[in-house]
Amino acid sequence: MNKKATKIITLMAVFGCVAIAFTSCDKKDANSPGVEYMPDMYRSPSLESNMAYVTIKNGKETGDTLQVNRMPVAGTIARGFLPYAFADTPEGYEAAKVGAHNPLERNDKNVAEGKELYGKFCIHCHGESGQGDGPVGLKLPGAPPAYTAADKINMTEGELFQIITYGKGLMGPHKPLVSQEERWKLVLYVQHLQHPNGVTAPAADSAAVKPAPKMEAKKK
Amino acid sequence: MDTLFNKPQKQIFAIFSFLFLSIVFSSNHAFAQGGDKIFKQNCAVCHSLGSNTVTGPGLKDVFTRVPSEEWMHKWIKNNNALIAAGEPYAVKIFNDNKKTAMTVFASSLSDDDITAVMKYIKDYKEPAPQNPTSVAGGAAAPAEEGLNPLAILIGVIAFLIIIVAVLRGVRHSLKNLQNEKQGLPEEESVSAWTELKQWIYGHKRTTVVIILIILGGLLTSGWYALKDIGVYEGYHPEQPIAFSHKIHAGDNAINCQYCHSGVERSKVAGIPTVNVCMNCHKGITKGPTTGTTEIAKIYEAAGWDPEKGEYNKPQKPIKWIKVHNLQDFVFFSHQQHVKVGKQECATCHGEVKEMTTVHQDKQLTMAWCIDCHRKTEVPGMKNNPYYESMHKKLAEQYKNLPKEEQVITVAKMGGIECGKCHY
Repeated sequence: MNKKATKIITLMAVFGCVAIAFTSCDKKDANSPGVEYMPDMYRSPSLESNMAYVTIKNGKETGDTLQVNRMPVAGTIARGFLPYAFADTPEGYEAAKVGAHNPLERNDKNVAEGKELYGKFCIHCHGESGQGDGPVGLKLPGAPPAYTAADKINMTEGELFQIITYGKGLMGPHKPLVSQEERWKLVLYVQHLQHPNGVTAPAADSAAVKPAPKMEAKKK
Repeated sequence: MDTLFNKPQKQIFAIFSFLFLSIVFSSNHAFAQGGDKIFKQNCAVCHSLGSNTVTGPGLKDVFTRVPSEEWMHKWIKNNNALIAAGEPYAVKIFNDNKKTAMTVFASSLSDDDITAVMKYIKDYKEPAPQNPTSVAGGAAAPAEEGLNPLAILIGVIAFLIIIVAVLRGVRHSLKNLQNEKQGLPEEESVSAWTELKQWIYGHKRTTVVIILIILGGLLTSGWYALKDIGVYEGYHPEQPIAFSHKIHAGDNAINCQYCHSGVERSKVAGIPTVNVCMNCHKGITKGPTTGTTEIAKIYEAAGWDPEKGEYNKPQKPIKWIKVHNLQDFVFFSHQQHVKVGKQECATCHGEVKEMTTVHQDKQLTMAWCIDCHRKTEVPGMKNNPYYESMHKKLAEQYKNLPKEEQVITVAKMGGIECGKCHY
């Protein structure tokens, strides 16, 4: 009886030790991806995006790396590129106020797409309803002004577009993140937030500005 | 002749009217908003109260710089008018700040508001620098690492072996002492190995079981080690900047696509340019866990001078380390999965918004891909004119199957053909 008990205890002890030994080897080095077998076909011979390559000269690593993400060759134009006439200068800003007009029609589809984009690119600073109360906006030294503030509510569409494109004050340029068409959709949605009961072309309110012909047509 | 008031009454009336008017004026003052609130709403977007430039110059000691308080008042009210009038200091300020005009506040701020905000700027004192321990604590957090369990085990085993050896020696000498007392011959000293062999002869069945357990353990661990080859699940390298997805995507609810904006238009989701970081970090200079140390690395990369508020240094690339690597022999496009397939980022990347350092959450093996392709419908297909005819054709083809098999999964559209991903 006693012998049997000793046997069982010995067995359990051995089994426990073995189990611990095998599971404890699992701890991996965080900076190593793990074991690779014949990695020839894992690594691309062509340059892959988002990778930095080390330059090797005479069998030695040189300090400089080859970044794959680089500027396009000078003079090339991206497919689908649309020129935008107004520069990122105070003069350009004033000119865009009256000169830039939305090529898109204000319809439910465009506004809905604007809303979707707003949820991705604007909401964290400007807040869901455009009051400047997004979680990031509240952490900035100055929260973004509400779209409905007295001096903002009558901004022209060109002004809004210019601000999204090049930024203003603390806001950075968003030209690299959203295409021109997407930016105009955002303008539509921002105007929707300013005038939830239907946009009556805010441009028309300021005497100096002529509303876009398309908006005029839509109003009737 | 009787006038309306005789003389004493006139005096009282005068006193009362003076009091009334002064109350009206002073209360008017009281109605002007607090300077701090006005500053936050109107000025802080471009001006800091320190010496650093945000968009406009920092306002520390501004009243020692400007010609007079009167001038300051006029400037805040309508800086354009001052510049247009050719006032020399106004023109100098305008030229010094890259000819960027300040907002005109003539319509939105009253004279009292401007006075209040000027008083606020004048009285503002920088808060004493806080105890830096909280900042340092965050940076030094990942210092203590747990002891390797394998090392502990080896230590324990070595300790046990030593104890057994010592006890064997003690027992041996005690036995000899006893034998000596009883006048018996000295016990033969046996080596540990011989004793072990004797024990094995006596316990054949137990020995076989022990050997089987060890063998089984070795085989299973070997099998799992083989299955791990080329699978980077759990890979979480240290990045050049201790960027926390938990703070950005979790606590601050920034959408994944704000930074990875290529996900809907490219094969790769993309690493954001430093420009995207600067969209917020121009203003946010201090983080909740690492303070200013990590954010300073962004400024270094962008060539941004936080004191002067301009990009005046050489730019340096940040050498981010790619965590999710697919082998070169397989094609994968984010655009297809996110735009048409309408898949959530978390389906393949896990709950990144809870990760402080990003790790590869899923296996990203072929079995894992195929498993999902067999189960998943393509929601973007139904209302997409590009796929309309194909969708109709497939619905027709599968309409005789039982209901649960009628679902048009990726696999049914040829999504597990070899050539779809390997070509």
